[in-house]
Amino acid sequence: MATRAVVENSAVPALSAERQVTWPKRQRTRLLNGLEVILVESHTIPKFHGDLYFKSGNASAIERGPGLAEITSAVARTGTTKRASRQIEEDLRRIGADLAISAGSDTSSISFAGLSDYSEPLLGMVNELARDAAFPEAEFERERRQKLEEVKLSRTEPGFLAGERLRKVLFGAHPYSQVSPSEEQVAAYKRDDLVSVYREFYTPENGLLVLVGDFQPDAMLKTAEKVFGAWQGKKPHSSVFAAPANPRGRRVYLVHLPGAVQTQILAGCHAITRKHPDWVKLGLTNSLYGGAFNSRLVMNIREDKGYTYSPRSGVTALRQHGYFSVSAAVRNDVVAASLTEIFYEMDKLRSVPVPEAELADAQNYLSGVFSMGLATQNGLLGQVAVVALNELPDDYLETYRSRVRALTPVDLLETARKYLDSANMQIVVVGDRAQIESQAALFGDVEAFDAQGKRLG
Amino acid sequence: MKQLRIAIESTTLANGLKVVIAPDTTAPVVTVGVYYKIGFRLEPQGRSGFAHLFEHMMFQGSANAPKMQHIKLINSSGGVLNGSTHYDVTNYYEAVPSNALERVLWLEADRMRALKVDDENLRNQRDVVKEEVRVNVLNQPYGGFPWLDLPPVAFRNWANSHNFYGDFNDLDATDLADVQAFFKTYYVPNNAVLLMLGDVKPEEGFALAKKLFADIPAGPAPPFADPTEPEQSEERRGNVEEKFGTLPAMAIGYVVPKRRTTDWCAMALLDQALHGGRAGKLYRELVLEKQVAVELDGGIDDIFGYNGPTQMVTRILHKPEYTSEQALAAFDEAIREIQEQGISEDELAQLKVKWQSDYFSLLEGGHGGMPRYGLMHLLACFTLFDNEPQLVNTILDGFLSVKREEILAAAKKYLRDDKRAIVFRVPVAADKKEAA
Repeated sequence: MATRAVVENSAVPALSAERQVTWPKRQRTRLLNGLEVILVESHTIPKFHGDLYFKSGNASAIERGPGLAEITSAVARTGTTKRASRQIEEDLRRIGADLAISAGSDTSSISFAGLSDYSEPLLGMVNELARDAAFPEAEFERERRQKLEEVKLSRTEPGFLAGERLRKVLFGAHPYSQVSPSEEQVAAYKRDDLVSVYREFYTPENGLLVLVGDFQPDAMLKTAEKVFGAWQGKKPHSSVFAAPANPRGRRVYLVHLPGAVQTQILAGCHAITRKHPDWVKLGLTNSLYGGAFNSRLVMNIREDKGYTYSPRSGVTALRQHGYFSVSAAVRNDVVAASLTEIFYEMDKLRSVPVPEAELADAQNYLSGVFSMGLATQNGLLGQVAVVALNELPDDYLETYRSRVRALTPVDLLETARKYLDSANMQIVVVGDRAQIESQAALFGDVEAFDAQGKRLG
Repeated sequence: MKQLRIAIESTTLANGLKVVIAPDTTAPVVTVGVYYKIGFRLEPQGRSGFAHLFEHMMFQGSANAPKMQHIKLINSSGGVLNGSTHYDVTNYYEAVPSNALERVLWLEADRMRALKVDDENLRNQRDVVKEEVRVNVLNQPYGGFPWLDLPPVAFRNWANSHNFYGDFNDLDATDLADVQAFFKTYYVPNNAVLLMLGDVKPEEGFALAKKLFADIPAGPAPPFADPTEPEQSEERRGNVEEKFGTLPAMAIGYVVPKRRTTDWCAMALLDQALHGGRAGKLYRELVLEKQVAVELDGGIDDIFGYNGPTQMVTRILHKPEYTSEQALAAFDEAIREIQEQGISEDELAQLKVKWQSDYFSLLEGGHGGMPRYGLMHLLACFTLFDNEPQLVNTILDGFLSVKREEILAAAKKYLRDDKRAIVFRVPVAADKKEAA
């Protein structure tokens, strides 16, 4: 715990010699139609996992409506020129496959997993969904209504409300400020817009196919060429957005949730993308601060003070911008006390070099956890995809651990000073206003909103 | 079809501790688990939520690893850890680079040998648990729905029907004597299984288990209350107020036949036919076709991991323009159809392929960054409940040999109104509107 030194204990068995971590070969190819394909073997189970990414998401369609890439992905699943909705679902079940189409700010993707024995029919289905979605009118209307209910419901969830408000505060006029459409915006969706988003985004030149699993890469590549080879389509025009203003000074944004029996705290500031040279440094700094069970923040406000069950911090990297954030759902009467400790731990990392032993522990943690991805097909897929989508160096996986281990207390001090921007943190609290406003006001001027986003007097 | 065969070796130490090892050198990572055969179902009466609170206490200090050292030692070895409380088991698990195996086993042995906690630790974790309940249940739309809402309506035996997360009064009444008594009764080596999965050689794993655990004394065989339910002969209904959510919801639970019977296998495939994602009959009819429901999911939760009465549960959030009775009627129509028509040979073939595929993923599956969590869970439950870890390699056979007639028979026998319970969770605001 933060306030009590841990006794070093000679009875604890030492670590034995570390086994080498060997990352499997990534076979990387570009098909003639421009589709990038990465294949990785992993023989844990007789299945394979895949993602077909398109490098355009909600941000790229923002002028036509918030969340448009997301509703497009939902309706794309509900019918193709060859198969109706029910046929799609039953054909997936017939080959033991799971599939989901979704979109975030920067990408749209078809994620799937299935038995190795049925890799060709599953890739065939993926191809069909990426090329021949029919956007049936009735399915569009059904999805729109479901989305409407989902939007209403999400505004009753403290975590959603906090995240939504923080993104608005950090990103202002930039499309990253929009995490969800309003009810009116959902009502205004037009089927034609979905079709045009689909035609523009879902193209081989805009695509990245990553397959990880129990297969022979050469044979799988042949299958992929056969299935996707005839597909044609250009890279879409990519919009450039002005950089968002970086908010200065601590401010408090209170989202009033009447009757809340707990307060969701979420505070954040601008940080960096994964391509930034400081990324690994910030990752390690975050891990020490609140990114691990053994981190300072968890030890302090959970294990020492019992304010919360689930404190954590993290760095969210979007393609153009990233942000650092810290969150905790706390008892209503300790909102001020929790924020005090959140800033205390941040300021401490910004002013006192991390002791060597603690640094070594955190380095071990981060490099150990990084290798866990190797053990499952889906874990490996995630890591390979992050490297490719962010255009990181080919040896990123191989060199990550040594880069983590090379960092010094001075590196961390500098990193904390740059990115744990204590003086400019934007603080969101979601809870019952009467119980928390005076506590929150100790940390900055308060602006209050209702759950619908309307400013309260 | 390509098959999966898990290499498994097991033994029992003289003190009764079972040890199961499943080696696999794909990655230099080893997953270690210790499962105790006690969950929240059989926690002491008057101490609802205790089994879970106790699980938290297991991270608060043992004889040679004071508070925080356990967590610090795992994290600083490059590993992750957690624990969870289930109906009939409680688990503690770590995934670490394989060079930390002995260290992890030492830590698990230390807390199996003696728990060293004080009043301050208990107060601290009681506060943490209350915030856990608030963040997961009391301050969330549909929090605890239906896993906490259905049991008090569905079951008559306290073991199955009480609040598993705990009434705050009961949590407050807990003292250190409860903690030590529970530890002494249930956390004995002869009521546990130790698992090592991944990068470990069986002979080394067994040797380490012997070295570190063999001197922990066995305890008397723990007493277990009888969780049997009286035979149900009428539909049971209840209501719970929804404080935050916007949509009316309901959950329908049917009693599941005894595990590892032919009926149980048939029920599992029937469950897949009804709840198997968007291809499942209920999602298709209620969400996609009739469009009464907005969300629908369900099934037999953790089908391999329980050892007492349980239900197959459907969870529905429906559009507010339909009354609860209308939504239920749409559900009932789907159930009636499957009772009358059963499923086709083609559908049965689909279900079996999907079941097998899902099973492979379950075994490999990570959980919170923990590789092979699923395999660990199944090996542990098959060891503690059946004394047969090799079931992991054979249990599929029963499901893959289910016949159409057996599914039809299971639908008629188990999907009966007098064998079910229903909880309606209706938003407060909607209630007021209707009354106005």
